[in-house]
Amino acid sequence: MTLEEELLLEQVTSAHRERGVDGAIRSHPAWHDLDEAGREAAFEATVELRKMEAAIDAQGHSSTVRALLSRLNAPSK
Amino acid sequence: MQAELQILGAMASGDAHAFARWASSVEQPLRLSLRLFATSVDTEAVLQETLLRIWQVAPRFTHDGKPNALLRFAMRTARNVAVSEWRRQGRADQQEALERHLSAEAEVAPITPDPHLREQIVKCQQKLPGKPKEALQQRLSSGGVDDDSVLAARVGMSLNTFLQNFTRARKFLKECLEKAGIHLDGELT
Repeated sequence: MTLEEELLLEQVTSAHRERGVDGAIRSHPAWHDLDEAGREAAFEATVELRKMEAAIDAQGHSSTVRALLSRLNAPSK
Repeated sequence: MQAELQILGAMASGDAHAFARWASSVEQPLRLSLRLFATSVDTEAVLQETLLRIWQVAPRFTHDGKPNALLRFAMRTARNVAVSEWRRQGRADQQEALERHLSAEAEVAPITPDPHLREQIVKCQQKLPGKPKEALQQRLSSGGVDDDSVLAARVGMSLNTFLQNFTRARKFLKECLEKAGIHLDGELT
């Protein structure tokens, strides 16, 4: 994997996602720039990362869950 | 099943933190159920969209009396969201894989936190070198609210430097956990 691909992959592991004009959660722009191998690697890296985040968080929430809480205007305790 | 009904009741009455507890327990099985879609859709976006839809329908959800009813419903919702996105992109070339996935019925159950992992990862986190630790801390503090470019600017790094430091942090933690016998695919050695 090239450095450029690694940087794209790392962006995709973030839980940050924009919302579209229709309110739906949009794909990360970097995801579209990854090839199939990069997308698979990003998926596996995200699976592992979310487990780590949940283990570190006092409430046991990953950044995915915390991002959702923020969307509901209910910040983590 | 009593606990499941209680949490569903809390969610139905608008308790976002009950929803977060439930979401944390089902995130992993839901995410893994999307693995076959990983090359076709952004599964993080699909997962978040799915969980938001569950939050919205929780007040009207009718429990079928069997264990993990809401998780099973969420699995179907996740699949539907992924398929809709897949079809929207016109990925007809992968129709065979899609049909195979749709016919698969996975056994699902919520996940409970692993106290051993929590204990070890705190130790590993303390051993992280400065810049990678800083990048990790930014992501953790943000909780998915901010884009990486915002986080990078916050700590005075270029986006690329921030991402490289975050990669180092992620790999360092993984290797540190493996040295302690913890493999993030769920296997303990």
